[in-house]
Formats: sequence, structure tokens, C-alpha cells
Amino acid sequence: MFSRQAASGSSSHSLRLSRGPLPARIWRAKWLYLALLVPVTLLLLFEWLPAFSALYNSLYIWNGGKVHIYVGLENYERLLSDRTFRVALSNLVGFVIFRVVMQTVLPFFAAEMIINLRSARWSYWWKIIFVFPMVVPTILNYLIWRFIYNPQVGLLNEGLELLGLGAYTHAWLGDPLTAMWALSFVRFPWLPTLQFLIILGGLQTIPQEVHESASIDGAGFWRRLFFIDIPMTRRQITLAMILTMLFMTQRFDLFLVMTDGGPGYSTMVPALQLFQSAFSFLEFGYASAIGVVLFVGMLALTVINLRVSSGATAD
Amino acid sequence: MRKRLRFILGNRDMPFQAVLVCFGIVTFFPLALVVITSLKSNTQFYHNFWLPELPFQLGNYSSAFRIIWRYIVNSVLYSGTTICLIAAIASVAGYVFARFRFPFKTVIFLAFITLIMVPGVLTLAPRFVLVRDLGMVNTPLALISVWVSGGLVLSTWLMRSYFESLPQELFDAAYVDGAAEWQVFAYVSVPLARPMIATVAMTTLISTWNDLIWPLVTITDKSKMPLAQGLMQFSSAYETDWGTLFAGYVISSIPLLCVFAVAMRQFISGLTSGAVKA
Repeated sequence: MFSRQAASGSSSHSLRLSRGPLPARIWRAKWLYLALLVPVTLLLLFEWLPAFSALYNSLYIWNGGKVHIYVGLENYERLLSDRTFRVALSNLVGFVIFRVVMQTVLPFFAAEMIINLRSARWSYWWKIIFVFPMVVPTILNYLIWRFIYNPQVGLLNEGLELLGLGAYTHAWLGDPLTAMWALSFVRFPWLPTLQFLIILGGLQTIPQEVHESASIDGAGFWRRLFFIDIPMTRRQITLAMILTMLFMTQRFDLFLVMTDGGPGYSTMVPALQLFQSAFSFLEFGYASAIGVVLFVGMLALTVINLRVSSGATAD
Repeated sequence: MRKRLRFILGNRDMPFQAVLVCFGIVTFFPLALVVITSLKSNTQFYHNFWLPELPFQLGNYSSAFRIIWRYIVNSVLYSGTTICLIAAIASVAGYVFARFRFPFKTVIFLAFITLIMVPGVLTLAPRFVLVRDLGMVNTPLALISVWVSGGLVLSTWLMRSYFESLPQELFDAAYVDGAAEWQVFAYVSVPLARPMIATVAMTTLISTWNDLIWPLVTITDKSKMPLAQGLMQFSSAYETDWGTLFAGYVISSIPLLCVFAVAMRQFISGLTSGAVKA
């Protein structure tokens, strides 16, 4: 009935069925197309259409409704001279670099400790303990950290008071100098689940014999770390970094919930600016242009990142 | 006693355990404080920030629950529907892509897979206009349709890889026994793919449960809000009532806690072993 894509066993079978003129083959596959009809329709409607709409409407002044005026590349020109966007972009770069380092080093460190344990039972429990914070809804991470930074009754300030460092208490989110740092440390000791499990998985695939022969050759913990564990998990580390980068570039709920870009523009990021342009100022064309720029930037960074890491593994 | 001491000091795991314990304490400290505070009245909280204090204010929990329960029910319904739809559609699509050869297969598959590179921020504004023009704003349909189509991209790809990895002999055996194609799918392939379906369900659950932005732009009716959005409302309404606020936080963490109590082992092993091959 259908041409099955098959391994060696029934390949002659599938070859026979996949012969014939194109219309006949299409007709024979009609049930397959029917099976794909729902997902393809959904993707065309809710994914591809908005994506192309964003590209197209970035050339227009558009309020999301009737006002729809072609302006060519004007939105992009405006973006180049937009001071808010420039500030947002530089905020984002600093934030992403910090988060990528933090969200790679921290889970790697924890995973390294865990695979060093002899006791399988303990290493299992530690995994669960470090994955546990993910049961807390993401929004609660932000709300809990808003409490930590609270100037009157925040955990951080109370802790400083307790340690006799009351002079250092601060309105962490209210001061433009500290707000971005405060946001960078949101969720701080909690491990990013996905990145942690990816890196842990990488470390677990290093064969036992490699570690054994290294220790016979007299390699201590640090030598093993730098000459075996890090090089051998390079692919997982790269993936974790790319994921962090992509998440952090496009997720702005953190900024929306904690500071809404303020004070001033000290915690503005491009994705939040996009959101505000569209939903506060009804500038859908301008918002689309910001989206396109972000998309191109993320694509370029991912390609570069993959190039660099594959080049590095080729050495 | 001496034996015990030697056991502790001479244990090779000890330095690593020590570091892990410190790390674990720092991780759980904020959570513990949230739970402790949730049992206090405001007076108790301002009087004694750090330690639990009697009497425990269990009333915080009942007043928080009266608000939060609706959001939790909504989220369970929305996420549950999304998960079922994605699991069903992605299994079928993944199976078709993995097991058959047909004209334009590559093109159709590319239409799925290239979307991985299209970020949500790019499509956010035009997608809102689309959903608004379709008249779906302020209905659960706005959330579910977009969550399903967004989740299908990765899920279909995962299901396809999984079905491709199953040995051909299994299918041949079923065909030899005279099974029709749909029977092979329903009675052989889907049961075998259960671990991958669980992974798909889990990732869908987490991403939909935590989505804040999309509900924020499409749902305005308080009674229809999912948990993430509802919590934002709740936190601004109870901004200064710390006990009730934190009781609400604890309550809203319970649903995922239950899921993970059941599926934690599978979730961890699925992601650590299967996700990325070195």
C-alpha cells in the first residue's frame, strides 16, 4: 500500500512500491499526506505565517489594525539611531555573556562533583536534589528573587544586617548601577536543569577506563578535569552554551516581572523593547523590525558557535 | 565511634560530599525561608525574619488556596490538553517521517525542522494579530493552538528519531503476522515509543506550565488565566501580606512536585542518556 522506508531486509519491496510516475506515487501516498495534514496546517498557520508576517511588516508602519503604510527600510534606520535600542543591546550582551558563563560553569562544577562520587546511591540523590528547584514555576523564581532583593524586608539585606554588614544594604533593583547585576544573579545557586543534565550526561559517557588509566598515570583531580573531562564533554558544553544564549536572548519575562526595564533604561533588553513597542505603543512594524534583527543575530551567533566548536574538535 | 570517624574522614567521597552539601544548603535555603514565612503572620514576620515561630498560621494556606486553585485547575486543563494533542499528532507525524518514503517528504520535513531556528520573539506580535483576527483572544483556544503548534516542531523531530532507531525486524515480524499499517503503529510502535512520548510530554508540560508572555497578551479574563499569569495577579494583590503570598507560592509548586515525584527518575535518565550523544 505504501512505500515503506526500510532497512536492508525489505528494500526491494519498498523500491518496487516507490517506482512509477509522480502523480501515481502521490496518489498512493494519500493517506500519509492526510496524516500530516493537521500538523502541517498548524505549523503553516501559527508558525510560518507569523514569521513571514514579521519579515513583511517590518517594512511597514502598522498599528496591528487598519493603519498600514509602506515605509521601506525606515524601521531599520530608526532602529540604528534609537538610543534605547543601543542601550538595550549593550545590556543584553553583558547579561548574556554573564549568564552563559554562569550557567555553564555552575552545572559543570556540580556535575563534576557528582560523577566523582563512588556511591551510586548518593550521586542519584544529588541529581534529584539539584533538579528539584524546577518544580517551582519560573515566574516564582522571579517573584522569590524579587523578595530576596526587597529593600525593606529582603533576604539579602536582612542577611547583610545579620552578618554585621548593615552598611552595605541596598535597594538592589532600584539603583541603575546594581539593577542589571541583581537580575544577572536571579536564580543564582539554582542549576539550570537542562544544561545541568546535558553536561552530566556528557560526563557520564566518559568511559570508566579513561579515568582509571589517568589515575594510574598519576593524574590528580585538576589534571583530569582540564585534560580529560572538559575536552571530552566539549560538545555538551557547547550545546549548553548555545541553549543558554538562545534562551536568554529571547526570554524577557525576567525583565518584565522584576523591573520592566527600569530604573530608567538600565535593565532594558531588545526583546522587552519589542514587547513594549507592540503592546504598549502599538508599533507592530517597529516591533517586527526588532524581531528580525534579533533573529538574524541569534542565527549568526549559533552558526559561529557551532563553527568554532566543530573547528576546535577537529584539532 | 572511632570506626565511624575513620569512615567519615577516610572516605574518598568526603571532599566532594562536603562541597555538594554546601551547594545543596545554598540551593534550598531560599525555598526553606519561603516555607517558613508562609506559616507566619505579618507581625511574626517583621518581628522574627529568619526562624519559624509558633503558632503556625495555617489560615494563610486556606486564604491563598481560595485564589490559587482556579489558576491551577486552568493550567492543568490547558497543559493537559496540549500534551495529549502534541503526543498524538507528533507520534503520527514522526512515524510517517520515519517509516515511509513519499514525494516531497524532505520539503515537508524541512517545513517542520527549520522552525527550530525561528525564535518566539520574532513571531510574537504578528501571531497575536493573527489570533486576535481569528477571534480567539481571551479563549483557551488561543493558548492551546499556539502551544500545540510551537511544541510540535521539536516533538515531531524527537519522535521521528526514536521510530527510526527501532530495529526493522520488529516491524517485519508484525507485517508477517498480517498486521495492517495502523495496527503496527498502534500496537507495536507506540508502546515501544513510550519513553520518548514521556519525554515529549514532560518538556511540553514544563514549557506550557511556565509560559507567561503568551497568556499575558491573549488572556484578560481572571477566571481563564493559567497559573503563571494568575500568580502575577496574586502577587500584586497580596504584595504586603507575606504569609499568604508565600503560602500561595508553596501551593502553586505542588502540582509539578507531584508529577516529578512520579516521573523524576525517568525524566533525569531520559535527558542525561538520550538527549545528546557525544
